Amino acid sequence: MSDIFVLAEHRQDELREVTLEMLTMAGGLGSPVTAVLFGSGVNDFADKCASFADKVIYVDDPTYENFNSAAYQAALVELIKAEKPGLVLIGNTGQGADLAPSLAVELDLPYSSDIIAVTIENDKPVATRQYYGGKIDGRIEFKDADTYVLAIREAATPAGEGGKSGEIVKTDNPVTTEITVKRFLEYVEAAIGEVDITQSTALVAVGRGIREDKNMPIMEELAQAMGADLAASRAVVDAGWLPQDRQVGISGKTVKPKLYLAVGISGAFQHVTGIKGADLVVAINKDPDAPIFQYADYGIVDDLFKVVPALTDKLKGMKG
Amino acid sequence: MSIEQGTFVQKYDLLGCIQCGRCTGGCPVTVRTELNVRKFVNDTIEDDRLEELSEKPEIWDCTTCNTCALRCPKGLDPFEVLLGLRSMRAEEGNIQPTARDALESMFNNGNPWGKPAARRVDWMEGIEGVEKVRILEPGEKADVLIHICCTAAYDPRIMPLAKNLVRVMEAAGVDYGFIGVEEKHCGSEARRLGEEGLFEYFDEENTELFGRFDVNRLVCLSPHCMNTFKNEYQNLNLPVMHYTELVAELIEDKKLELKNEIAAPVVFHDPCYLGKKNNIFDEPRYILSQMPGVEPLEFLRSRERSLCCEGGGGKMWVESESKEQRLAETRIMDAKDLGAKIVAVSCPFCLLTLEDALKVKGLEEEMRVADILELLGEAM
Repeated sequence: MSDIFVLAEHRQDELREVTLEMLTMAGGLGSPVTAVLFGSGVNDFADKCASFADKVIYVDDPTYENFNSAAYQAALVELIKAEKPGLVLIGNTGQGADLAPSLAVELDLPYSSDIIAVTIENDKPVATRQYYGGKIDGRIEFKDADTYVLAIREAATPAGEGGKSGEIVKTDNPVTTEITVKRFLEYVEAAIGEVDITQSTALVAVGRGIREDKNMPIMEELAQAMGADLAASRAVVDAGWLPQDRQVGISGKTVKPKLYLAVGISGAFQHVTGIKGADLVVAINKDPDAPIFQYADYGIVDDLFKVVPALTDKLKGMKG
Repeated sequence: MSIEQGTFVQKYDLLGCIQCGRCTGGCPVTVRTELNVRKFVNDTIEDDRLEELSEKPEIWDCTTCNTCALRCPKGLDPFEVLLGLRSMRAEEGNIQPTARDALESMFNNGNPWGKPAARRVDWMEGIEGVEKVRILEPGEKADVLIHICCTAAYDPRIMPLAKNLVRVMEAAGVDYGFIGVEEKHCGSEARRLGEEGLFEYFDEENTELFGRFDVNRLVCLSPHCMNTFKNEYQNLNLPVMHYTELVAELIEDKKLELKNEIAAPVVFHDPCYLGKKNNIFDEPRYILSQMPGVEPLEFLRSRERSLCCEGGGGKMWVESESKEQRLAETRIMDAKDLGAKIVAVSCPFCLLTLEDALKVKGLEEEMRVADILELLGEAM
């Protein structure tokens, strides 16, 4: 198969990890890997990509200071026509979702999103995509084409060590007309403190077991040490100790973290209904008969005021 | 106003409204929210304002407690206008996700709790002194058909109510039977969340289902199910009762003996759908008075003036935006001031909301909330 293109993704002066993940993934497929980098004065990104690729096509132009899907698409169309890569990998990210399907349609290329693994069979890619919340892996084959476009899920494969020293080819902007259909305006940051607990990978959920508002800091400290967000039972929200958008349960949010640590939560049915999507539930409660233990994968029966600080210390120690 | 205007309020039989405001004046949730039911009745007369009015968040604050209907001098049901506005939202699918999930589950699983229909009979496991709950075959005869509400069937906290209902039936020698796994949601909460169509579906389904058995009466665990079967189903020709009515009858006929001491000051909280909606005030009080050791107390706001717990009207699935204290918390504090050790209820929603309020107030060690069925289980 001919060269593999990997589109480098960067945002606010940071090369996104998904770029290195895709370069690593592409490196294992047996074809030369070309990183495609659009940017303005980002030589360090080009160098970084070069350590993971056989070649870097670097288009250094003010047009690409910020991501603009229309500009990226126009440039990629020209590069794909000129270089004829066999496969184009784009991150399945906010940027990628804005760009990849539209690019595939414009060039009439086979495309699939949210791919977690790729192999080459008979000189064609075969991709893996998950269904039913990851319970089933689907095998995706494509109709014959010269080039295939895949959007690769973030963190699907770890980034390797690099160690290559690919050639950096600075290229003039292949697009000469000005892109006017879309303009970059500004970055709008999510307000600090606004957390969408339905998207959290780890949650520390606080129940009435913490007794008083003034005990919240030990929970915050634990959550911070775990890299988790705080959630709450309805009783804690009603008491005004956490805002309503942190409420888990039948009249609150349904969450699906990898880890749900329920601290001082008895486990009322209306609460646990909201955690059925959690991968792993761990409960800390002093009452061995608390219903939460029927739902928990692991449980600690003890006073949370002993367990939580010990856990926090241990976690801090592990981080070193 | 053109001649075509006012069809909406007419549908809910509210053209007779004289705008006296007694509805809003008595509405318990006005201490927490912007809801003004009198104004909604007034404004919805203009059909071209319906869309805008249906988008007001406070239409979801109504608990359908029936206070406004009791106070209305014209005998109207003012809150029905809010259900009408909710149904406009539900028709467009433009409702809160929590309510949408509950409605979807009602249709798919026959219960609002997102649980599989096949697990509906889990509560029948391990009932003290009862080997097997009698499941009726089609055509089979029984005096009483018991209806276990979705909440009692699935919520482990409420399951003991269903178990105790069966224990009472057995102990009193009642000729009773249960539908089993085919029992389904009554449709009450579907209607209150604005899904009229779904309610009609349950009306037809359940009428057909109950019709399969040769029974004299339907006895419901929850006042919400009872109310909808009794007052809202179109073609159900079956006397419908709440369990407190049957138990009071059993005690009076000396078929049920209560011998164990409860020995506590007990205050009864009138569930809206039992009391204000169906005029059943005396039976629960009679049952409690027959339990040895019970010292009966009364809330200042009791019977027709009872304070709603905010569990009805679909409110188990829809939160108010209000940051004010929940009515259930006010109720618990009132009970504490009275010196009650037990707040007795006879409704699954009241039990859940009041028990939550007890936790919020940190009073779990001092008092408890119990359904009359649980107290019966202890007293038997």
